[in-house]
Amino acid sequence: MNTATATDAGGAVMPRRAVTLAAGPALVLALLLALAVAVQLGAVPVATSDWWVWAGDAPATGGAYVLWELRLPRALLAACVGAALGLAGALTQGLFRNPLADPGLLGVTSGAVCAVALVLTVFAASAAAVPMGWRVWVLPVSAFIGALAVCFALERLARWLTPGSVAGLLLTGLALNALAGALVGLCTYLATDEQLRSLTFWTLGSIAGANWAVVAVLAAALAAALWQSRRLAHALNALALGEAAAAHVGVDVAGLRLRLIVVAAVLCALAVAWCGLIGFIGLMAPHLVRGLAQGDHRRVLPLAMAAGALLLVVADTVARTVAIPAEIPVGIFTALLGAPMFLLMLRGMARQQGGHA
Amino acid sequence: MKAVNTVELLRLRGAVARVPGRSFGPFDVALSTGERVAILGPSGAGKSTLLRLMAGERPAHGGEALYESHPLAAWPAQRLAQRRAVLPQSHAVAFGMPVELVVGLGRIAREPDPQQAHAVAGALQAACAAHLVGRRFDTLSGGEQARVQLARVLAQLWDVRDGLLLVDEPLAALDPGLQFELMDALCSFVQTRGHALVAVLHDLNQALASFDRLWLVQDGRLVADLPADRSALAPLERLFGIQLRCIDGDDGRVAVLARRGTPASTGTALAA
Repeated sequence: MNTATATDAGGAVMPRRAVTLAAGPALVLALLLALAVAVQLGAVPVATSDWWVWAGDAPATGGAYVLWELRLPRALLAACVGAALGLAGALTQGLFRNPLADPGLLGVTSGAVCAVALVLTVFAASAAAVPMGWRVWVLPVSAFIGALAVCFALERLARWLTPGSVAGLLLTGLALNALAGALVGLCTYLATDEQLRSLTFWTLGSIAGANWAVVAVLAAALAAALWQSRRLAHALNALALGEAAAAHVGVDVAGLRLRLIVVAAVLCALAVAWCGLIGFIGLMAPHLVRGLAQGDHRRVLPLAMAAGALLLVVADTVARTVAIPAEIPVGIFTALLGAPMFLLMLRGMARQQGGHA
Repeated sequence: MKAVNTVELLRLRGAVARVPGRSFGPFDVALSTGERVAILGPSGAGKSTLLRLMAGERPAHGGEALYESHPLAAWPAQRLAQRRAVLPQSHAVAFGMPVELVVGLGRIAREPDPQQAHAVAGALQAACAAHLVGRRFDTLSGGEQARVQLARVLAQLWDVRDGLLLVDEPLAALDPGLQFELMDALCSFVQTRGHALVAVLHDLNQALASFDRLWLVQDGRLVADLPADRSALAPLERLFGIQLRCIDGDDGRVAVLARRGTPASTGTALAA
């Protein structure tokens, strides 16, 4: 691997390199700690002995059941979804060369939610016609199509209407968000009572529907996305130079863009399909680690995954335990945390630009 | 000083660039290894557009743009990047990357790249930017950023021969002392490796001092292809609508002093 040699050009950066190298293990350790705490907290206490009862053994009861069938899959799903959103955010920001380009703000996740809403209500009849065994895939696939459609529309529209402008990109995202919101509203209006309940679940975002199968699917998808993004990481670094300059150093920019869009859309769609709209993780996670990784996407991408997982595990644990026995949708917490952070980042960017003018 | 065996590197034949509301060209130019060409002309005349056509950044509408006799558009980006580097005018880099990473990006087409550390260090040295290692690119001044970007394209062509370097106003943001030093560095870089160099410039003396040929661009057309010597002065006067007083340098090169004034005939004579 020549990831090490890339930063070997000078010896003066040793202290920062040490921080960069320690960041990965530290984040993973924090994530494991958060997972351990998350499964302990809740209305039903979990004893140490419950850890030694496998879920497959004789009908588990009490603490063991709560641990193996509820809390552990839920905590792991939170980690997977957080990682997916963190990675999707880092990829989107790399694609648009902007740290504020969050898939949620740009309307990508809204597009997925919108597609899900349409399938749940307007196309409920045709969705019911899908054979039982395949039905579990209807929502993920429709979410993927919705996310992909918004990604492509955004890319084309922003490039056409306001080439190169960050404000233009975010405003285009705002418009697409509003459009998706209007369609979701229309679906809400047309929905029956039962449809309305599942629709509300999607738009608020929750990890309550966790089970081992979903965790397995997401973990597999995440592994594939990480493998794919490792190959894209250095090209993504070159993209930071600008599209023309990236092409001149040998990056197939059109191909890179297409792959980034598809991977980001898959990640957003998987997150939305099972957990609904969970905002701002894709904005916060990469922002928290970018300084540690010195902007190098070969480090930013995996670290953003770890940070996203950590954020969502913590947020979900709080959402689940702060008002026992009631449970607050986690999407509300991430938005409460993320929106002020977005404003802080905006201020930071404005300051930086002001300083250089 | 030309290399002994020159090979044609790049050719534009009737190439036209279209931007909304305007078209540039047709351009007919040819460039061989080891040549150094300066593109001069008033602002908005199409200097950068000509450079972008040569870089393949703009498609050539009508006509053709060839690199080593193959259409530029047919070159895989990675292979082209191993023999040709382009330094654009704007220097923005997103995400606060450290200097050595930015310079290392010039080598990205060569992964795996055993020469990486060597080329990056050498290029930083040549571009007077070695002291900036470890700093974040986005915290540098404009002149420092220009040097780091120059180092990036030098790193890209560090260990190849007979390539092409296209640069757009590489020294614009630098103080005069550094301008001389970097222009010398750039020239010795291309000379020792047999690279051709094409630079968009504003400074007439830089062009006259360090280049073999001058391409004069006016109103979207190439109006003259001249050797960079005394004979270029009259066309330059007409191109910019100024008077030039010639000073002979010690090295046989000419330098000029620009003054306001009306040349005998205005630029229309050139364009005709």
